[in-house]
Amino acid sequence: MSEKKDIYNGPLEKVSDYCWRIPKSYKPGMRVDGLIFASQKLIQEIRKDQAPEQVANVAFLPGIQYASIAMPDIHWGYGFSIGGVCATDPEEDGVICPGGIGYDINCGVRLVKTNLFYEDIQSHLKQLVKELFIEIPTGVGRSGKYKFDKKELKKLMAEGVPYLLRRGLAAERDIEYTEAGGKLDDAEPENVSERALERGAEQCGTLGSGNHFLEIQIVDKIWDPEIAAVIGIEPGQVCVMIHSGSRGLGYQVCDDALKMLRDVPAKYGIKLPDKQLACAPVDSPEGRKYIGAMRAAANFAWCNRQLLMWQTREVFESVFGQSWQQLQMNLIYDVAHNIAKFEKHEVEGKEKKVWVHRKGATRAFPPNHPEIPDMYRKIGQPVIIPGDMGRASWLMVGNAASMEKTFGTTCHGAGRMLSRTAAVKKAQGRRIDQELEEKGVLALARSWKGLAEEHPMAYKNVDDVVDVVHKAGITQKVARLRPIGVIKG
Amino acid sequence: MYEVFEHTADLGLRISSPTLNGLFSEAAEALFSVIVENIDQIRTEKSFKLNIKASNLEYLLFDWLNELLYLFESEKIVANSFLVNVDSDSLSAEVYGEVLDRNRHKTDHEVKAITYHQLKVVQKQTEWMAEVILDI
Repeated sequence: MSEKKDIYNGPLEKVSDYCWRIPKSYKPGMRVDGLIFASQKLIQEIRKDQAPEQVANVAFLPGIQYASIAMPDIHWGYGFSIGGVCATDPEEDGVICPGGIGYDINCGVRLVKTNLFYEDIQSHLKQLVKELFIEIPTGVGRSGKYKFDKKELKKLMAEGVPYLLRRGLAAERDIEYTEAGGKLDDAEPENVSERALERGAEQCGTLGSGNHFLEIQIVDKIWDPEIAAVIGIEPGQVCVMIHSGSRGLGYQVCDDALKMLRDVPAKYGIKLPDKQLACAPVDSPEGRKYIGAMRAAANFAWCNRQLLMWQTREVFESVFGQSWQQLQMNLIYDVAHNIAKFEKHEVEGKEKKVWVHRKGATRAFPPNHPEIPDMYRKIGQPVIIPGDMGRASWLMVGNAASMEKTFGTTCHGAGRMLSRTAAVKKAQGRRIDQELEEKGVLALARSWKGLAEEHPMAYKNVDDVVDVVHKAGITQKVARLRPIGVIKG
Repeated sequence: MYEVFEHTADLGLRISSPTLNGLFSEAAEALFSVIVENIDQIRTEKSFKLNIKASNLEYLLFDWLNELLYLFESEKIVANSFLVNVDSDSLSAEVYGEVLDRNRHKTDHEVKAITYHQLKVVQKQTEWMAEVILDI
C-alpha cells in the first residue's frame, strides 16, 4: 500500500537560521541557486521527500531571476514543489510555466470579520454549521445555485468580481479588499476551452473537496495590537475563513495548457528535467494563449470565493435575523496562493518587470506598496495563512524584506506532512469529528475519509511555519485564529 | 490489479495486468474507485464509445483517464466496466456505467486532474505496469 519516499540527499547549505541554499553547482543546467526558507526543525522534515530536488529543477527554467525560492510549508508537488516561488524575465527569454501555478489556478483564501463574539455565537453554533453545510455546496460533483450560461461565464471571467457587483452579488468594499480588485486585466475568456466552460458552468459558488474548507473562527490571540486595530479585530471576535479556487474550470485550463505544451519546450530548445515543468516563452503564441486563459480562470476563482462569502452572509442573516451589513460581515482581505502575475521588482539593483509564479505561496507586499488598499497602506498587505482544522490559522501583514528576499511573497499554509493514505491509516478506527468536538471544533464533512485525510496530524504545525516567515522578516504576525466550526467536502 | 499508493498531497495509482488492454481497463477502474468508494454498486445502464490517439503509450493512458474524468465532470457518469482495445498509438473503448446517484454511490475524492508527474507505462517480463498520480 505504501511507497518508500525518496529522501533528498543533495546539498542544503545554511545561509542563516531561517534560510538554506541549494547551490547552482548542484546540477548542470541550474541557472540560479535554490533558496529554502525554513528553521532547523522544519528543514529536517523537508529533507524527507523530493521537494528540494524540485526547487533545484525549477532553477532550470529560462529567464529565472535571482533564485528558485521555497517557503517553509514546502512539500512535494509535481514539477514545482508546493510552496515554490520563481520569477522570470520576458526580456531574458523568460518562460511562463503552468506547473508553477498549479491545477487550481488562483486557489486562495479570504477572511471575513463580523461584529459577533464567541458568547454571541456559542448557542447558535450547531445550527450555524449545519445551515452552512446545507446551503453551501461542498464535495465531489456538486453543482451550485448560481448558474451562468456561456456568455455570462465569459463576462464573469473577463470582468472578475466587478461583474458580480453589477449582478448584485458583491459590494464595492468586497472588490477593494480583494487582491488585484478581484480582476486581472487582459484575461482572454476566448482562450478557455469549451470543456473548461462546461466544467465551470455550475461550479461558481461551490467549495469543492480535498483541503478546501469554510471555517468559523475566533480571534485567539493578538500579536500586534496596533496593526490589529487598523484591521479592526480583537480577541474573541468571530471571523469566517474561506479556502477554495477555480474549481473544474481552472483545473481544465491547466490541463489544456499542459497538453498544448507537450512538445513546446523542444520547439524552443528548452531542456527540462521534468515533463511537468512544461513551459513556453512568455512572448510566444503558446505562452500568450495560456496567460490569457490563466487570467480568466483566476478571475473565475475570485468570483467563486465571492459567491461563497455571499452565501455565508445569507446563512448568518437567516440564523441571526440581521442583515450582513448589521452584522458587519466585511471582508478583511482575499489572497491568491496559486497564481502568476507580472510585477515590478528590483533584481540585483535593477528594476525589472517579471512574471512571479506563486505555487502554494502568497503575495505579501510591504507597507506603502501602491497595490494595497488605502486602509492598509501603512501596515502592509494582509496575508491569510490557513492552518489545519484542529489548531489554528494566522493573519499576518507583508514586510519590507519580502521585496528583497522573496519577490514579495510568503508561505500559504501549514503544509502537508502525511500523505492522504498515511493520514487515513493513522485515523483508522477513530471518530475524527468527535475528537475535534472535544477540542471545541464542530466539523461537518461529506465523508469520514474526507475528515480523516485532513485531520490535524496530517499537517505541519502552522505556528512553526509562520514563525519562520516572521523571524525571516518577510511577514509580520498580527493575530492567531482558532477554528470552532468547519465545513468540508 | 491496481492499488493506491501515497504521494504527499495527492494519490497515485499503480496498475498491473498481463495484457495492455487489461492495463488500460484496470486503470479506468482504479480512477473511478478514487471518485466513488463503492464502485461495485455502479450499474451498467449506459455505454459510451471512446476513440483516442496519442504519440506514445504514456500519453495514451493519460488521455484515456482524462477523457473518463471529463465524462464524470461533464455528465456525472461513473463507470466500472470497460472494454478496451489498445494499439501502440490509439485505443478504442466501450465504457459502461450510469449517472452518479448519491443514494447508492458513496462519493470519495474530487480528482482535480491526471498529472504527468512520474507517469509511466512499462512492459516487464510477463506483465504491463503503469503508474499515474492524480491531483486531489
